[in-house]
Amino acid sequence: MPYHEFDCSKVIPERKQHAVVKGEGEDLTSCLPKGYLNTIPGSISERGCAYCGAKHVIGTPMKDVIHISHGPVGCTYDTWQTKRYISDNNNFQLKYTFATDVKEKHIVFGAESLLKQNILEAFDAFPEIKRMTIYQTCATALIGDDINAIADEVMAERPDVDIFVCNSPGFAGPSQSGGHHKINIAWINQKVGTLEPEITSDYVINYVGEYNIQGDQEVMQDYFKRMGIQVLSTFTGNGSYDDLRAMHRAHLNVLECARSAEYICDELRARYGIPRLDIDGFGFQALGDSLRKIGLFFGIEERAEAIIAEETARWKPELDWYAARLKGKKVCLWPGGSKLWHWANAIQEEMGVKVVSVYTKFGHQGDMEKGIARAGVGTLAIDDPNELEGHEALETLKPDVIFTGKRPGEVAKKKRVPYLNAHAYHNGPYKGFEGWVRFARDIYNAVYSPMHQLSGIDISKDDYATDKGFVTRRMLSDANLPEADRASPLTGYTGPFDPIAALRAKTDADYPQFERKTSTQAAE
Amino acid sequence: MNCEVKVKDRIGTINPIFTCQPAGAQYVSIGVKDCIGLVHGGQGCVMFVRLLISQHLKENFEIASSSLHEDGAVFGACGRVEEGVDVLLSRYPHLKVIPIISTCSTEVIGDDIDGVITKLEEGLLAEKYPDREVHLLPIHTPSFVGSMVTGYDVAVRDFVKKFARKGPSNGKINFITGWVNPGDVTELKSLLKEMDIDATVLFEIESFDSPIMPNGDEASHGNTTIEDLVSTGSATHTFVLNRYEGGKAGQFLEKKFKIPAIVGPTPIGIRNTDTLLKKLSEATGKPIPESLVRKRGVALDAITDLAHMFLADKKVAIYGNADLVIGLAEFCLDLEMKPQLLLLGDDNSGYVDDPRVKALQEHVDYPMEIVTNADFWDLEDRIKNKGLELDLILGHSKGRFVSIDYDIPMVRVGFPTYDRAGLYRYPVVGYGGATWLAEQMANALFTDMEHKKRKEWLLNVW
Repeated sequence: MPYHEFDCSKVIPERKQHAVVKGEGEDLTSCLPKGYLNTIPGSISERGCAYCGAKHVIGTPMKDVIHISHGPVGCTYDTWQTKRYISDNNNFQLKYTFATDVKEKHIVFGAESLLKQNILEAFDAFPEIKRMTIYQTCATALIGDDINAIADEVMAERPDVDIFVCNSPGFAGPSQSGGHHKINIAWINQKVGTLEPEITSDYVINYVGEYNIQGDQEVMQDYFKRMGIQVLSTFTGNGSYDDLRAMHRAHLNVLECARSAEYICDELRARYGIPRLDIDGFGFQALGDSLRKIGLFFGIEERAEAIIAEETARWKPELDWYAARLKGKKVCLWPGGSKLWHWANAIQEEMGVKVVSVYTKFGHQGDMEKGIARAGVGTLAIDDPNELEGHEALETLKPDVIFTGKRPGEVAKKKRVPYLNAHAYHNGPYKGFEGWVRFARDIYNAVYSPMHQLSGIDISKDDYATDKGFVTRRMLSDANLPEADRASPLTGYTGPFDPIAALRAKTDADYPQFERKTSTQAAE
Repeated sequence: MNCEVKVKDRIGTINPIFTCQPAGAQYVSIGVKDCIGLVHGGQGCVMFVRLLISQHLKENFEIASSSLHEDGAVFGACGRVEEGVDVLLSRYPHLKVIPIISTCSTEVIGDDIDGVITKLEEGLLAEKYPDREVHLLPIHTPSFVGSMVTGYDVAVRDFVKKFARKGPSNGKINFITGWVNPGDVTELKSLLKEMDIDATVLFEIESFDSPIMPNGDEASHGNTTIEDLVSTGSATHTFVLNRYEGGKAGQFLEKKFKIPAIVGPTPIGIRNTDTLLKKLSEATGKPIPESLVRKRGVALDAITDLAHMFLADKKVAIYGNADLVIGLAEFCLDLEMKPQLLLLGDDNSGYVDDPRVKALQEHVDYPMEIVTNADFWDLEDRIKNKGLELDLILGHSKGRFVSIDYDIPMVRVGFPTYDRAGLYRYPVVGYGGATWLAEQMANALFTDMEHKKRKEWLLNVW
């Protein structure tokens, strides 16, 4: 039986089925933990709520929108300025957040007129913004405000504005994942097909499940544009509200984070016949394969190959420099949902690290299937981990580095395990060929920090060296390295602090112009 | 009258200055030793508050959720509190105190957390944990009432109410600091030590700033004990430094145990610290020692270098917790600065009658606005559209983009200050805090002069 029972969770026996260790010769039929079940109260789980899954994860990265939460101010405040989903319109959606400020009297007498006045005030404060998303919260769901009716009323009065309503209160589901689903379906039901786009290419995609963390979307969009592909919309990072209303006109849905956004892809396939292609922007091999698949779908493989060749030549040596120095380092891969399988294989294959544990806060069994399949024998897989289990796992596994959220990162810090932010990244973006080197760089900088080395010394007991005034990362990382690796003339990553600035400076003239097919060719 | 007090003239909130009540109660709960709060509501109400606290203090704190899901929202979720308490007790053997903190959702559905506690005390605790010291207390913090500040105030009162017992006088004072940082507590305790005053400090949070130890077994937690809380009923006086963050506890102790409550001042700046020391001296009969005259002199020595040369007439906007904002405004006036706009982020109707606010109204000789129920748009709109000119902003990190986008220097102060390193370690109260604040403000202005090349040569000979 591969189930792993934590000592700290013996008193809550139902937890036993939420963790497994992948044994020798075992497959998924024998080692799949339970997933996406209601949380055990008081277990100090790391899960968030369905409101944050809808608003914070998927809704807010949409850039040209007033994001207003109908409820008390806390939901809005708490989910504001806690992520790094940037945008190329001066980060409007990152800077501004709106709450209807529901008070006790509204709970008693209803908050619909309050909502309406709020909507008008918000549009008046930002006259250049004509799009809005309204998020329901626990309080306004329970008092039963009809948000859709108010939105319709305002749209009738002000024909130049458009409003999207997302009814996903915090309690709607075991975790934030419930909110992902709700906002996916709400968007396709309410908004897709309400605007006709201008088609400028023979190859048109929606880029779905991509949130532009530190510029990921802009990196990937650059590759697509270099292939002559029109990115009709991005759901939702750096995405535009009106572009997303036209999703129905794409030829292909290119899906990145399946955990949070496969629902809309599946609906787009069912309703509009648009095929879904799952891709992966992390890792040279996976990213290269992804670009190839897209190229293959459109019959433009050579364009993909050209990019892969160029980028690999530029960045692979630097990745390999890090891989030589990260080989065998133990990693706990503890993200929220899909990164456990996006990263598990790629970091082992391309950076040489060893994943000793994967976990998911809000993933489903399907995510665990993919994660465990890609992880090696002995990997500890945990669904909906809690505080004490995290401690126990860190103490048992003794990883060299952990990829997780900001607060769990503080737990790891105290245990002398350096952390990288798996949700918002340290110094990303991490997607793209260059981004993958940046990720390797961040891991290296964490693992070989001289401060980390110092923190293990007990000056009251240990016999420690006094012959050095400093130690460099290289002195630590290269100490036991084979001579051939040590002799490398490289020194690691050579890109800029902010690689996105250069991408934003590009104009159409910087991209290759491909001949459009004639309409008869296209029809064939 | 030059200074107007007004309520925000919009109904909604654009960029809130505060979060809601449960966050304040959670911040109180982490100050108590062997205590884990159980927040009765959706998981986000805990997950994001823990994140917020960890952003501010760069430390992790344990707070639990009852994990309200759809079924509970429909059929009632008291059972999840019962289960949550059991799970916590069975997994955390050192745990003694569990405050049950309500939220908007569980207040709307009307879950009776007081009743659940009685049921747990008579059932679970008596049957499953008969030999264990366990205390449960309800803290009602619906998010649609007040703000994180009132949540803090309510929670301090509820902890005191739960534990305080009248015994023979312990000769100590109760010293309720309000929502402050570890660095503030260190500064305040050093004042008390110099005065030779024995105090029960609520809350003992210096240990929030904890080390990495070679064996990796350290964790941050508060150090106020049950015994400390019990003894608050036997004190000679209660000092409430921040009227809105501990005032209710002071009132309770005065009413229930006849312990006189001395409210204020928020000891920000030289003058307010002087006043606090005088009040401490009067209450305890202990003289103000020479050592504090010297400490005060060191602060004055540093500030004198700055005030009339660099800080005088600088226009400043201040936002955040009311006691902090008012204390900072008072100190700025003593520094010859000109606070233009004070933003208080909740709808407390008492602010307008606050004697400190009335004094500002009486004496300020230039236009100044105080806005209650304010949001960050009250600041940005005035800068962007209404011609407000500022030299400096004082407030917490959530307002950072106003400073960035309008290129106005800002000194981070209050909660949270996640976009600057280590601020929780420094005081804003006491003489040490006065020095630190004045120097931070001056250095921010100096950096701005250089960044904008505005009389940057001024500092050549300073």
